[in-house]
Parts: sequence; structure tokens; C-alpha cells
Amino acid sequence: MKLSKEAEKALQKCMRQNRTPDKDRKEVEDLIELMPQDRVLLYKNVISNPIGDLPRYSIHIRIQHLLTFSTFLLLAFTGLPVHFSDAFWAEPFNSMLGGIEVTRTIHRTLAAVMIFTMIYHVATLAAGTIIRLARGRFDIRRTVIPMYKDLQDMKEDVMYFAGTRKQRPEMDKFMYKQKIHYFAAAFGNSVMVLSGSAFLFPDIWASILPSGWAYYFQDIMRLAHPHEALLALVVIAFWHWYNVHLAPGRFPMQWTYLTGKITREHQIEEHFLEYLRNLVEQPAERAYLRTLLQKYDLRAQERLSEGLPASVPADGQ
Amino acid sequence: MQNRLIYWLLFVLVLTLALTGLSTAQAAFEDDEACLMCHKYPRMGRVTQDGVFRSYNVPPEMFSNTVHRNVPCRDCHNYIKELPHRPVETGVTCEQECHTKKNPATGKPFSHKPVYDLYQNSVHARGKIAEGLDADKPYCISCHTNPLYNPHQTEPPKKVIDRCELCHEKLDFVTQWYSHTSRRVLEVKRSGEEIVALCSRCHSNEKMLERHAAAAEEAGEPLGKKFLIAAKSYEESFHGKVTKYGLEGAATCLVCHADQENYYRGVHGILSSRDPASPTHSNNRVETCRQCHKYADEKFLAVDPHPSFDAKYNPVLHKAEAIYGVVGNGVVVALIGLSLFETFGRRRDGVGWRIRWGSTWWRRSKRKRKRIIPR
Repeated sequence: MKLSKEAEKALQKCMRQNRTPDKDRKEVEDLIELMPQDRVLLYKNVISNPIGDLPRYSIHIRIQHLLTFSTFLLLAFTGLPVHFSDAFWAEPFNSMLGGIEVTRTIHRTLAAVMIFTMIYHVATLAAGTIIRLARGRFDIRRTVIPMYKDLQDMKEDVMYFAGTRKQRPEMDKFMYKQKIHYFAAAFGNSVMVLSGSAFLFPDIWASILPSGWAYYFQDIMRLAHPHEALLALVVIAFWHWYNVHLAPGRFPMQWTYLTGKITREHQIEEHFLEYLRNLVEQPAERAYLRTLLQKYDLRAQERLSEGLPASVPADGQ
Repeated sequence: MQNRLIYWLLFVLVLTLALTGLSTAQAAFEDDEACLMCHKYPRMGRVTQDGVFRSYNVPPEMFSNTVHRNVPCRDCHNYIKELPHRPVETGVTCEQECHTKKNPATGKPFSHKPVYDLYQNSVHARGKIAEGLDADKPYCISCHTNPLYNPHQTEPPKKVIDRCELCHEKLDFVTQWYSHTSRRVLEVKRSGEEIVALCSRCHSNEKMLERHAAAAEEAGEPLGKKFLIAAKSYEESFHGKVTKYGLEGAATCLVCHADQENYYRGVHGILSSRDPASPTHSNNRVETCRQCHKYADEKFLAVDPHPSFDAKYNPVLHKAEAIYGVVGNGVVVALIGLSLFETFGRRRDGVGWRIRWGSTWWRRSKRKRKRIIPR
């Protein structure tokens, strides 16, 4: 396989940061040489453990995800019957919890847990970044920060699904969809916390804000809180759950949120640049890939399927 | 001519009752003057010259549950000197002295006059018989709708009775006095929901409000810009929603518009917000808000207690709401579209939902390339 410029850059940086010995560098480069150019051929033939093969999320991120989704769902279940208290389903629900006052108390308590989770998350990211910087292993492309490449990836991916590209783009650890989703959730959570606090402390907010803002602030927050919640529910139901549960190839679910590991096939398909880093950082993965490539000789298969001889002739054609 | 007809009808009625000796439900209160002999009949009344039926019926079972059940009729209807009596012109007004015979506490005639005077200085002031715009305003009985808001404790606790009856032999007397005082202690005011419902009865009557707004405009003293939507916008507000949930503690109409130094004095003497003594006057608003919002200052006054998303009242909020609507619907359509698009793309590429070794890759690509090697 001939790597793209982006992939080559990511690989070289990773090897530099890991101070990869020459022997291992050679091994990685050899493996890449043996890979078929068509990555589909690769990821459709690897054996994957459904609960994951390669590391992706630390225990902190998994705890934060569990806390976020449980508080998010419970906040929605306790917030909606308060907002739509006249709806036919709201009254029995509120009664079941002990009355609307109890529903509101639960809602506020869960909000405090959600705020704690947000702080925990930011602290984790900050600490992780500081540690990586200190160890000389920080790579902005491995973070969730949006890059120009994400726009190109999105365009290429759309074209792939439309049938005008043979392969999906070589995407990084966090692909464009995940970045959009992450920042949508971060923005949504911030709006919810801000608006929720505006309900609890309207006088304090008015005294902090510049004169004239208070007039719009309180009402816009009152508008934003339920609308943002509904928007978040819609995004979670129609996009997040689709991507991690229902999309063909992901069904019935990705176990990453529990095990912290991603399947090999998924990593190669959607996060190929990270897979190259895995080859650098995971000797076991190099061993697995070598076995697979030697067993099937995927490069020869690729050439045959394109009507070319299985081995490369001496003249390189 | 009509009066003579009424006298004749009354006479026939009385005569009929006397002859037949009909008896109806036993009155639960002391009807010493036998007023119910006529007024207990549901059809008791007359048709006015405008063709309106005016009922004179006093259902005994209803009256016996009101706060006035122990007051003899002629204590208030003191203009009645003979039976059958002559047509009533004004009737009883709430400021007149009454139940003079049964006021053992002071021995003086009792009257609602102090409260009535307070009310007469309020923005709602009117006489019992009112015309024009004043007729829209609430009279005492518009709000004091016995017995709905005046339940009382009919069975005093034994420990109270035991003590009282040492001196007061008549149990009825003890019970009556206990009810009289306990009602004032236990049922001190309406719930938030009831207050809002009561005020909204007039303040959500669009035609009535428009009449007053137009008259004030003509008089060169235009009313507040939210006057027309006071009730509706309150319901939209955070206070209104919390009150609607049935929770006490959020500001109702009276918490802001009535002076809270003495709640009962305040609610009867509600003033226009232009009046410097009104809690909603611009000079007093910070203090009014501070009743609940400890850190309220001048800037807090910008927060609208009567918010509206109507373009006429707040175009910015109206647009913000419209944008949220477009974004919300747009996101649903876009995400469903994206999901279908990706599903279509992945299916075409040979990816399905079947599970093999915990994975879902199972078919050959449909892109005319054999990407699966038989294992």
C-alpha cells in the first residue's frame, strides 16, 4: 500500500513521538507494503472480537459517557413531564414519582450530577493533554479538535455513500461525525446548564449581566431550555443511536462505551490513521496483521480482481 | 302594572302554601322570619322589562353552607318592613351594618365598611349598581363567592369543646364560634391557582380589556403595554407555570400587585401601577421583587414578569422562537435523511445487519469487486 501524505505524516509523527526503534519501524513499513491498496479488502477480512480489539477510550471517558447518557436520559424523562405538564401522559408520570415537586427535585439533582460530569470531563481532557505534552506525545490530530481535513473527509465520505468513490476517506481517531456530535453535545449541555441556572438564580444573573441584556436573557433561556432538550433528544435518537446501534455494520451495538476498545474492522474502516498508530504502539497488532496478510496475500487478490497478474512483474507494471 | 302583577303572584303563592301546607327540605339555618317560605322555590323570581329572568330563589341547602348562614335575613335586608315585601331597588350593599343582634363580642353593629372603604380607594372600586366601564370592575361578590372559597371546620376538636362547655352550655353556640374563628385561622387565603383563576376571569376578557385600554387612551393616560395580555403572559411566565403546577411559593398576581405589608389590606386596596403607593410602581419594584429574589437590583427589573413571544410585544423573542422551530424541524429531517443516505450507501456496499462472529460484515460488495476471500 502506498500511504497518502496525511497517513504518512501521522505515521511518522507517531513513530517519532514513541521513539520507535528502527527494527519496529521496519516491521511497520513492511506491513504497510504488504497491505492492499483497497482498504475495504483489508477490513472485510480481519477477524474482530465484537467487544473490541484495540484501545480507544480510557476508563475516565467511559465513566463520563455512562454518567452523561444516564443523566441526560433521566433529565429528559423528568424535564419533559414538567414542561408538558398538561399532556395526558405527564400527570400519571409525575404522580408515579410522587408529584411534580418531586419530579422537579429529581431533575435538579440529576442536573448537578451532569454538571459534575462536565467538570470531570474537562479535567480529564486537561490532565491528559498536559501529560501528553510533558511526554512529548501530544498530537492535535488525535484530539477531537476540528481540522480542515474533517471537511474534506466529510465530502469524500458523502461521495463514497453516493457511490462515486471506491473507498471511504482515511479518517483520524475522531472522524467528522464524531466531532460534530461532540461539539453539538458540548454546546447543548452548556446551554442547558446556563438556562437551568437562569431559572434558579434569575436575580444573580441579572446583576452579573450588562444592563439591557437581562430583558432578553431570561426569556431566551426559558425558550432555549426545552427546545435545546428536544433538539438533543432528536439528535440522540435519530443520529447517535443510529450510528452506534442501527447502522449496518454497527448492529446491534458498539461495545466501545463499555470496554473502551474498538473492533479492528471498525478502526481500519473509519479511523485508518489511528490504526496505523496502533501498528506502531501495539506489537500484538503487528503480529496479527502479519499473519493475516501472509495467509491471504490480499495484495495479490487485489491485483487479480483488477485483472492484473498476482505478483508484480520485474518492470513494476 | 307589572308591580301589581307581582303582588298578585306573591299573594297566590303564599295562599297556596298556607292552604296546602307543603313542606320542603328543612332549612339548615334559623329562618325565624320565614323568608324561605317563598324564597326556597326555584321558580321564585320575575322577568324584567328587558326580558331577563331575575331569580329570587335562595336554596336553603346552599345558604346553610355560607358564612352568612347564621345571620337573619333582615339583619342585612333591613329595608323590608312588611310581608309580602315591596320590590327591592338596590338590595344589600356590603358596607352596611348588619347582624346587630348576634354580635356578642362587642355589642356593637358589625360592618364590612372598613374593608369596603379600602376597596373603594382601589383601582377596582365601584358601587353595587354600576354602569359603563365601572360595571366591568369586580364588586365584593365577584371575588367572595361563598361557599367555594370559604370552607370551615364544622366539627371542633373534642379538647376544645370540653373546655368551652364548662361555661357555655349550648353546644350549638360553641360550635358556631369555633367555626367562626377557626375559619379565619385555618383558611386564610386562596391557593395560587385560585388567585390566578380569579383575576383571569376579568383580565383575560379581551373585549373588556380593550374597552378599558381605549378609554384610558382617550383620557390621555394610556395603560401599561401588557395590560391587554396580563393574564395570558403571566401564564407563559415562569411564575405562571410554577403556579399552574399547583406549587405554592411562586409569585401570583397578588404577590406583586397587592401590598404585602398586610395581605388582606393589600388585596382589597390594589392600586394602579401609576400610583406611587403601588408595589408595581417603578419606584417600588425592586423592593417588591426582593420579597422573593434576595439579590434583585435595578437591573433585575428588566426581567419581564409578563413575557410574550408575540411579534407585537417582543419581536426578538418571536424571531428566536421561530428560529428554534425551523432548526428543530430541519434537524429532524436532515438527520433522518442522513441516516437513510448512509444506510443506503452501506447496504449497497454489502454491509448488512446480520451478525457473524460478533461482527456485521457478511456479504460480498455490490460494487463489482470481490472483496471477500472465502475462509
